[in-house]
Amino acid sequence: MSEAVPRPEAENPDDGEVLHYPRDGGNDGPIVVANEFVDVVVRKVQTRNGVRLEIFSPKHNTCVRFDAVALDCLSYQEPEFITSLLARSPAP
Amino acid sequence: MATDSAGTRTEAGLEGIRDGIAQGRFPAHVFNDREIFDTEQRRVFSKAWCFLAHESEIPNRGDYVTRYIADNNLIVARAESGEIHASLNMCRHRGNMMCKSEMGNASHFRCSYHGWVYKNSGELVGVPYMKEGYGGRIDKRDWGLVKVRTDTYAGLVFGTLDPDAPTLEEYLGGFQFYLDLYLKQGSSGSEVHGPPDHWVTETDWKIAAENFSGDGYHTPVAHQFGFNLGYFASSGSTHSQGWAASIPGKGHGIGLGHTPGFPPFAGFPEELAEEMRSSLSPEQVEVFSQTRTAVGTVFPNLSFLMQPFSIVPGEAGVRFVTMRLYHPIGPGRTEMYSWCLVPKDASDEYKQEAYRAYTLAFAQAGTFEQDDLENWARVTRSAGSTMARNIEFPYVMGMDSTPDPDFPGPGHVVTPYVNDSNFRNLWSRWSEYMTGRV
Ligand code: FES
Ligand SMILES: [Fe+2]
Repeated sequence: MSEAVPRPEAENPDDGEVLHYPRDGGNDGPIVVANEFVDVVVRKVQTRNGVRLEIFSPKHNTCVRFDAVALDCLSYQEPEFITSLLARSPAP
Repeated sequence: MATDSAGTRTEAGLEGIRDGIAQGRFPAHVFNDREIFDTEQRRVFSKAWCFLAHESEIPNRGDYVTRYIADNNLIVARAESGEIHASLNMCRHRGNMMCKSEMGNASHFRCSYHGWVYKNSGELVGVPYMKEGYGGRIDKRDWGLVKVRTDTYAGLVFGTLDPDAPTLEEYLGGFQFYLDLYLKQGSSGSEVHGPPDHWVTETDWKIAAENFSGDGYHTPVAHQFGFNLGYFASSGSTHSQGWAASIPGKGHGIGLGHTPGFPPFAGFPEELAEEMRSSLSPEQVEVFSQTRTAVGTVFPNLSFLMQPFSIVPGEAGVRFVTMRLYHPIGPGRTEMYSWCLVPKDASDEYKQEAYRAYTLAFAQAGTFEQDDLENWARVTRSAGSTMARNIEFPYVMGMDSTPDPDFPGPGHVVTPYVNDSNFRNLWSRWSEYMTGRV
């Protein structure tokens, strides 16, 4: 790895774990968001006391779960913020 | 600009062609000729303003399409800021193609070879193993995608590879007056109805560009069925009526076909016709209300056609607009792009009807399209034969016509509609580029 930040360990699927997901997950997901560069799977994850949004990348086998506060904060980031994240960790 | 490798024979030949046009002659071989094709790539398409896309093809942030100028594949993308950028579709690391899809949505492009990441506006933002591999020897600011200069008119996005080209406004040179008929249907303007039909055809781009710069002459013959079966509201006896308008020195031209007694703006929904009467200038209203068919070419290879076409023979026609790009991919070979433009403001019903009329007449399998391409493919084949190298065509029709002094539109405007005047202007502009005068 390069100047990338470490992967978010806790939420990652186990190595070799294959996640199967239906293409039409309704309102709860999973939803597949894809373009010609990559695809990710998004779904709602229920915890005992609330809900998080999970973003899973089959390509990298990485996963994060955002709660409402985190998502709210994402909602007012500039596009430049995502650019700066990609600058830190463009691939793989 | 790279130095020219064309030999003297070609240079002298090109000068001769230029002189011939002034006398109403144009050689057959230019419509299928390797040397002409190669010279066009460098001298015409690398210098002119070339059409890239309609803004409504990329309405949202991140939308992109890939298009060509000469043999260069370009990404035309709407950045996260909303601006439109055109960049060469070639990774700066080792040249991989960035976007393989012809259309998509992405805020960033990631190269599938070594993983360089660019913003969709072209700036390089991410390089894998930047520290370990490059150790500070690369400044990302120096290695963005190569930018192409762009400019827009009424939703049309053009690009030019020539940093010294005049502005698009100057390049269009008043032709905007006529383009508005296609681009400002209703006060909110026009939009594309779906992605373009896109196919490869065995014809030379110049045959198509010439035909669409106002060849009313072929219509009653090549499209005879349209008259006879009642798809098309014109008749052989009056078909020569109308105007040929061209912008001298710029190459653009439009044929405006007129049918006596044809109701003004017929074929448009009434509300839309009303809107246009107030949103267009009085001069434009005067010209367009008398126009049945408007068929025009923006030099070099962007064309438009508007006319009413009956979906059911004998019934009232529905107005449709097709916009087409004739992208040259070889001598006598063209990649066609054909769009249907509809008024943004119109009802969905009218948009559907206009699209049906367009599809019936001018999409890939359209009846008019078939009529034209059958002829054009054979013109192209003949033009490539050895004897054709010494054959010229007459371009003398309307050579003595004097411009109509009362016509309210700009440019050199003559009657009748069947006229070579637009073609002489088109090829004389082409020869200015081909002889390096532009
Ligand atoms: S060619 Fe694009 S990253 Fe190497
Ligand atoms: Fe035709």
